[in-house]
Amino acid sequence: MSPWHIILALLLIPSMASAQAELSHQVQSRLAIETDSGRTRLWDTDWRPELRWRFDNGGRLTGSLRLRWQGEPGLRPADGFRDAYAGASRPQGLGDNAEIELRELYYERSLGEGYLTVGKQQVVWGKADGLKVLDVVDPQSFREFILEDFEQSRIPRWTLNLERPLGDWTLQVLWIPDQTYHALPKPDATFAFHSPRFVPAAPSGVAVRLNEAERPSRVFADADAGFRLSGFVGGWDLSLNYLYHYFNLPTLHQRVTLDAQPQVEITPRFHRTHLLGGTFSRAFGDWVARGEVGYFSDRYFLVADPLHQGEAARSTELSHVVGLDWSGLTDTFVSLQWFQSWLPQHDERFIRPKVDSQLTFLLRRSFLNETLRAEVLWIGGLDAGDGLVRPKLSHDLNDHLEVWLGADLFYGKHRGTFGQFDEQDRLLLGLKLGF
Amino acid sequence: MKYISFFPAFLFFASVSAAELPDGDTVAANINARNEGVQVSRNVTMEMTDRSGKTRTRETRNFRKYFGKEKRTAIFYLEPRNVKDTAFLTYDYPDAGRDDDQWLYLPAMRKVRRISAADRGDYFLGTDLSYEDIKLESRVSLDDYTRHTLGEDQVDGHRCILVEALPVDGETAKELGYGRVEQCVDMDIWFVRRARFWDTKGNPLKTAYFRDIRQVQGLWTQHQIDVENHKTGHRTRFLFREVDYRTPVGDQVFTQNALRRGL
Repeated sequence: MSPWHIILALLLIPSMASAQAELSHQVQSRLAIETDSGRTRLWDTDWRPELRWRFDNGGRLTGSLRLRWQGEPGLRPADGFRDAYAGASRPQGLGDNAEIELRELYYERSLGEGYLTVGKQQVVWGKADGLKVLDVVDPQSFREFILEDFEQSRIPRWTLNLERPLGDWTLQVLWIPDQTYHALPKPDATFAFHSPRFVPAAPSGVAVRLNEAERPSRVFADADAGFRLSGFVGGWDLSLNYLYHYFNLPTLHQRVTLDAQPQVEITPRFHRTHLLGGTFSRAFGDWVARGEVGYFSDRYFLVADPLHQGEAARSTELSHVVGLDWSGLTDTFVSLQWFQSWLPQHDERFIRPKVDSQLTFLLRRSFLNETLRAEVLWIGGLDAGDGLVRPKLSHDLNDHLEVWLGADLFYGKHRGTFGQFDEQDRLLLGLKLGF
Repeated sequence: MKYISFFPAFLFFASVSAAELPDGDTVAANINARNEGVQVSRNVTMEMTDRSGKTRTRETRNFRKYFGKEKRTAIFYLEPRNVKDTAFLTYDYPDAGRDDDQWLYLPAMRKVRRISAADRGDYFLGTDLSYEDIKLESRVSLDDYTRHTLGEDQVDGHRCILVEALPVDGETAKELGYGRVEQCVDMDIWFVRRARFWDTKGNPLKTAYFRDIRQVQGLWTQHQIDVENHKTGHRTRFLFREVDYRTPVGDQVFTQNALRRGL
């Protein structure tokens, strides 16, 4: 019996029991035009039905699917590696232009003073917007780099999630026996990574061989596990987070062979790390201060010269985001965030800098009783001098239909995280229908 | 005093001398002394209509509970799909010097956001009531205003006392978004039946009518609020159903975890 048969059984059984069902739908369609050439860069439509069953015992079962169809031309569904997914989480292709994915399927109910959520679900940690330090419990699809809404790009995993109050605090315990990791685009995909920070470059005349990724695959031994202790103390929202997990991004280990034909052999490999961190947020008049910090015990990074310096370099990593939100003007929201990642064991072998810094700035204003919203988001990489600017104008035409117009504009050097996509600037037109 | 210029117009309509009526502070104290139960749960429909007559409707489930003198309110959006699972939580402290704590859960982000209590003059999720109005429900703020009795008036056939409320200072007026409020209070049940609002520049801003006030389980309860914004022509109607003061509301409803989980 395949995981899909189990899923279907789970979907059907409750409908025969005593339960109330709620069915809702969301359809989203987007068209993206390349600003330089006027070519269509993306034309896709997602249909997301969601069904909730409520049981007499207070339990609830939630299931949602995503059917994604791609127009010609544009990004292919397969641009995201499906082999990044564990078997029970993997989307199913429907021809070349469509795929279907079980987004979520989980059962939840109170257990005494506690609360149990079990099944395929999203677990979101952290206080930052758009920048991730602690929001790494679930992996992400980079099919459109970071341009897709996190709700769409985050990959839910099969998770046991138990919450229980401890005095004024709440303890959340996670066990995730789902070996699904970041879905990365293929080398020839629209948003394939090119920056040397992420992809090794072989010297001319040296052949490159890309091996299959060495993926953890033991359901129990390779499961992720962690906890979050969160509370509200003296006006502060605080949390302490711990996760023992495989970092969602594989390290591309390089091995050089100097036979008759020199060759660089690249093997994507996932590494375990301990993550210890915390979050805070508090309001001060018109301001809200928030932040998160995370310490990773074992990270591996590309090295500049694998011939002499080994396959990859190891370091611990300390990252943080500090954010300030201001809402001193009616219907206006301004947010500034500062992100830094620091590698204490950094040396000259590393390609990425010792300290990596980014700033984000968001200005949002709503009009007409929040039916019209205008915003601009800027994300800047301080080291490479690159960045991304995202203006957007959205309008609720009625209760069910939202339309928007936006742009994704990259700039900077090609070695930068954002500058590598400098050729991918696009204008976007979208609509979202809910019913 | 820039607010004083409004004063004579309301005295003109008053049929009874203000001196014979309870003063503003007494009226406010009586409103806030009215029993509104330790807890309440109810369904609230919000119908928002713009100047052109286009209407948007939101279905919500609301809870309110007192923890001693601290009031906690939670609002969960049920429909339509585009706002479903949005949720709002506020802790309103009895200490006037302590800002409220507020959180908003946005399902698109799957995160509970801390929001500034200084946003209290912003309109609540597209309606014509502000965050502060939503939090106060049928009560009035004693700390933000000074009050004066103006006289008497009638609203929907009910005799009521007119009370003018002026923000205590310019900063408070800016936060609230109101330069002046005039409330018509039914002294038989100590319920505001109409509230008129002016902006900080003295222009008429909006009028709210509190209707279908009747007893539920022995407590006076509004079942309809009609608000019209005179500047934008936008209107909101709040309809309250299945009001229940008796069924216990668990403390866990008023937590960030409950916002995330929804109803």
